[in-house]
Amino acid sequence: MKGLYLLIKPRFSGFRNQLVGSQNGKRKRVFLMSGLGLAFCGGMFTVSCRVLIYFQSAEMIGDVLARHLLSMIILTFFSLLVFSHIITALSNLYLSRDLELCHSAPVDVEELFISRAAFTVMDSSWMLIIFGLPVFMAYAYVYRPGPGFYFTVLHMNLAMVIIAAGIGILLTMVLVHVFPAQRTRDIIMLLTVLMMGALYLLFRFLRPERLVDPEAFFTVAQYLSALKAPQSSYLPTQWIMETIWGSLTGSKGGHLFEAALTWTTAAALVIINVWVARAVYFKGFSKSQEAKKRRVGGRRVLDLFAKYVTKPFREDLGAVISKDIRTFFRDNTQWSQLLLLVALVVVYIYNFTVLPLDKSPIRLDFLQNILAFLNMGLAGFVLAAVSARFVFTAISAEGEAYWIVRSSPLRLKRYLWGKYFSFLLPMLVLAEVLITLTNHLLGVSRFMMLLSSGTMFFMVFGIVALGIGYGALYPNFTSQNIAQVASGFGGVLFMIVSSLFIGMIIVLEAGPVYVVFISNVRGTPITAYQWILITLSFLAAFVINMMAIFWPMKMGLKALREYE
Amino acid sequence: MDMIKLIDLTKVYKGLRAVDNINLKVREGVVFGFLGPNGAGKTTTIKMMAGVLAPTEGQIVINGMDLAREPSEVKQCVGFIPDRPFIYEKLSGLEFLHFIAGLYSLNNSPSLRRRISELLELFELSHWQEELVGSYSHGMKQRLVMCAALLHRPRVLIVDEPMVGLDPKGSRLVKDIFRDQARTGTTIFMSTHSLQVAEELCEEIAIIQEGKIIAVGTGDGLKRQAGVDGNLENIFLKLTEGKRIAHERPLSSD
Repeated sequence: MKGLYLLIKPRFSGFRNQLVGSQNGKRKRVFLMSGLGLAFCGGMFTVSCRVLIYFQSAEMIGDVLARHLLSMIILTFFSLLVFSHIITALSNLYLSRDLELCHSAPVDVEELFISRAAFTVMDSSWMLIIFGLPVFMAYAYVYRPGPGFYFTVLHMNLAMVIIAAGIGILLTMVLVHVFPAQRTRDIIMLLTVLMMGALYLLFRFLRPERLVDPEAFFTVAQYLSALKAPQSSYLPTQWIMETIWGSLTGSKGGHLFEAALTWTTAAALVIINVWVARAVYFKGFSKSQEAKKRRVGGRRVLDLFAKYVTKPFREDLGAVISKDIRTFFRDNTQWSQLLLLVALVVVYIYNFTVLPLDKSPIRLDFLQNILAFLNMGLAGFVLAAVSARFVFTAISAEGEAYWIVRSSPLRLKRYLWGKYFSFLLPMLVLAEVLITLTNHLLGVSRFMMLLSSGTMFFMVFGIVALGIGYGALYPNFTSQNIAQVASGFGGVLFMIVSSLFIGMIIVLEAGPVYVVFISNVRGTPITAYQWILITLSFLAAFVINMMAIFWPMKMGLKALREYE
Repeated sequence: MDMIKLIDLTKVYKGLRAVDNINLKVREGVVFGFLGPNGAGKTTTIKMMAGVLAPTEGQIVINGMDLAREPSEVKQCVGFIPDRPFIYEKLSGLEFLHFIAGLYSLNNSPSLRRRISELLELFELSHWQEELVGSYSHGMKQRLVMCAALLHRPRVLIVDEPMVGLDPKGSRLVKDIFRDQARTGTTIFMSTHSLQVAEELCEEIAIIQEGKIIAVGTGDGLKRQAGVDGNLENIFLKLTEGKRIAHERPLSSD
């Protein structure tokens, strides 16, 4: 046990040193991130409360709906926890840089495994638990249960985390044991991304919104039976849901059997994990240290693609872009995220095909205009999210090899703008496809179609510049996993600033469009004063767009020049 | 002609003067050794000379050009070899060299391909050129970085700890290449911990301690300054001992 304590201690010491010794700037970051987290929790709590209160207003089926929602939430949390544990277990158990030191130290492999499993649980669970808390508190706010509910939520969530960790870590150990060592990381990453994409698509295509629309079912009985249908009595999520629901509604006798089943499963999984770890963990670690992949396939295709893409650029920028293309497509953890992006876009477009526009009591052309504006905002947000992952990380992607660019004759300004232009075209294509396709599905007027496409076209210039600029302002050249850079402080700040930018442009355009729409409806001409307002609005939008392009690039350039 | 001039060069990190008002001149075609104990400021000086780090004060003039005013022009005639060879692991060795050629605006011509092939042959990497850099050993990566630094025929080579990670054969190869480069007029500014390497290769040596240059000159000049006879190790220890606080008691006394 002493070994276990010693193995876990550095993590806490590092965390404490970071908190105590952090400078003013770092503390500000911590405060900003905590503030954002709290705001998100508050938002989740408010939305959850509203949904539950709305359900309560529906007699007979209100409780059934709330129970079904709880079941869906627990299932979603559980799936995300399992995926999250698979990814973090891989890095904590097999890829961390300090593992060589730990394995060479005279500590028991079982203790080493348990310490790493504990890190995995800490890394994977805190976010979901924090985001889950407001949902459970919303249930407590609406149903007013006794104090026992809070205890049940606490221990059932703990059991859920242990079970998810048990499954995730066990699966990782088996995968590392089965697959060829040098491919393990790539295969697990790819499998995880594919599974997440599939789950996301499956969940969306199940059309959960139909649960609040009884008209979609033929009879009330059919609807109720669809809601009441249990997932499976063999699933731990079902036991957890039954226990929490029982405690929430104060049903007599409680659900001791389900609670006992859950905890027995958790305990059994811990023991099985330790047994399996004794047998395969060290072998797996040893395999993961073996030589990396030496040769790559599809070189000719990549050569051709890189040659075609870099044609408009001179040798220096062409070299950087060609290197970026090769690195991106050879790193399975990078390109596989494109699949998630495709899933995101498909679901976004699919949502527009199932919009019940004909059922709305609002005038159709007015509704179409409002939705077209909303669509611009949402499409802009999708683009900002995509940029956070791919554009914002473009500078950090140089990694520890950044010295090569810095010591080369390539000017930093040219380098930064080169990165900008290499992302501009694909982002423009994505933006235009998104906006025209969704507007077509909405059936908007030709004027709105032109306005939306034009606005999106110009907004992309700003979003990409914000991505590159903020990426240069907050680079992370030492990160082992480039996907994590996007969720850091700089990435969050980029998302906030780009959302504000998108919001401002849309608000500035909404006024003039409303004036034009009303004048068309009423058949009255637009006054000179209104023309002045329209011109000023579009002028302000133009100025903001220009600022969004040049200001972050300038700041980013300054930051990169001063980077040490 | 002075190929490198460091004028009042200073670097301050959060109140610590890592490099403190350095003044140095290095002539063309000279192999110049830059010695000092750990943490003396060698790597910081070298990084500033390579344009990777901005000085707090002072001036760096290479080939008659000010690095702060004409960074691209200066870097065009400099080759930099850092102590740790971090390179793009998803490129093959050959692709990496083509990438470097692009950065230095070298056309993808038959002469470039010949040059790459010569360098790969010279550094014994020809058989590995199609393999991904990620699968290279530390020494191979170091040799590949050396190929990259020599690709554009630099007039100045700035090298930080060149022998780290190299086997005896690789170390001998690098020493021979540096001598050849100096013979053809390339100026080599090299930091090293290895006094033996400095003694073998360097015509002039500077010793840095706590960010300040405490001695500069040829081997004989340094002997006179230190007032000791014998090899470079004796001179180095004599010159730096005034500041030593560690090992005052022999390690074996425990």
